[in-house]
Amino acid sequence: MTRLTLTSRLFVLGLIAAPLAAMAQNGKSDREVPRTAAGQPDLSGHWTSATIVPLERPVELGNKELYTQEEADKLLAESLVVTETEAGTAADVHYQLDDFGLDRSQNPIALNLRTSIITDPRNGRMPASTAAAKAAADARAARARERGFDSAQDRPLAERCIVWPNEGPPMLPVGYNSNLQIAQTDDYVVVLLEMIHDARVIPVDGRAGLPAGVPQWLGSSRGRWEGDTLVVETTNFTGRTGVRGGNVLSANARVTERLTRTRDDTVLYQFTVDDPETWTEPWSGEYPLTKIDGPMFEYACHEGNYGLANNLSGARAEERAAAEAAEKQ
Amino acid sequence: MMLVQRLAVVAALAFVSAEASAHHAFAAEFDVNRPLELSGTVTKVELINPHSWIHITVAGEGGETTDWMIEGGSPNSLYRRGITKDSVPIGSELKVVGYQARDGTNRAVGRTITFADGRSLFFNSTPVAGPE
Repeated sequence: MTRLTLTSRLFVLGLIAAPLAAMAQNGKSDREVPRTAAGQPDLSGHWTSATIVPLERPVELGNKELYTQEEADKLLAESLVVTETEAGTAADVHYQLDDFGLDRSQNPIALNLRTSIITDPRNGRMPASTAAAKAAADARAARARERGFDSAQDRPLAERCIVWPNEGPPMLPVGYNSNLQIAQTDDYVVVLLEMIHDARVIPVDGRAGLPAGVPQWLGSSRGRWEGDTLVVETTNFTGRTGVRGGNVLSANARVTERLTRTRDDTVLYQFTVDDPETWTEPWSGEYPLTKIDGPMFEYACHEGNYGLANNLSGARAEERAAAEAAEKQ
Repeated sequence: MMLVQRLAVVAALAFVSAEASAHHAFAAEFDVNRPLELSGTVTKVELINPHSWIHITVAGEGGETTDWMIEGGSPNSLYRRGITKDSVPIGSELKVVGYQARDGTNRAVGRTITFADGRSLFFNSTPVAGPE
């Protein structure tokens, strides 16, 4: 039997400090970045967005945007502490996390000093939801409680391997396999997301976006170069794709993304979500994409998605048990 | 000024708190009230997405055998580290501590899955003294 001797469990790629944002202002890098034959900044390659920076800033930090180096080091050390789950609790019903490499100890992490991915509003937290969005989120939650296991169509889009909330746009880091590959030609930029197996094909040749009324799971994206920054505007959402916090992007949302290769090993990713049907004001964020070695591995989500059927069969078994118990009474 | 500070690779046995946003709700698939421990022989390894499954045969006291499927995590990170399904050879003896499926079938989530001698399947988190 082969004994595996993988001696290191943690990969930390680069600690990227506050000047990251400054470098990207006006689409200028502080030094020459790799370029394509056509002179565009070359965004191609394999990148990770894995991070320990939360989407929303802890409330107690107020408007503090950046940790000091010392604080960031402490935070990283704290994130390496084992969190044991207690046997017999729902939290303990999980596969072995360390062995399956789903934690950050076995994957590259793109670190930075930010206290949150969200940079606007100033408090680093998502703005308030509109009354209509709150009502819709409550209705979805109620339906999930009452009918969430009735059929496959009642299960979440992620469980059905259709689309994950991290895919966006805005693209957000995800708990594992938080990787993407960018391919680039003069006329297209393609972003292949490992989670969960989607490719965003973004024309950058000036063509118009899809007409209204043609929704796409990841929206309809069109890109353009502003200086050395790729700016991507996305519309035509479905009104069904999730965003953290229980909201979904409305069909009329507009997301603007900016990708700037600030260093050989870094692409700064910035985004703004403008969705007045869902949030009372726009919100923005940023984080670094850090270069990793390829290749990407296919996340063929449907291939072994036994869990979807298992969840439904579990619910049916419990219904039968409840019916039998009721008959005996 | 640009700070380019590379952190050294940290301690070999560092674990990170679990923040995996799993593909589906395990507490819906498996029953916290059905904890189990199994010892069995590997018959098949499915390192597939969204979740891996390891098949084992468990021998009963009377010589009868029962087949079980044990759920694990996404294999992509394993592939990236050079690990394949051959890393858990057919015929390996495993110990599983976990929870059985809610529908009562022979499926379980492997809260911990180790080789019979206690070693981890893929990562040497429990150092074993002695030569390779």
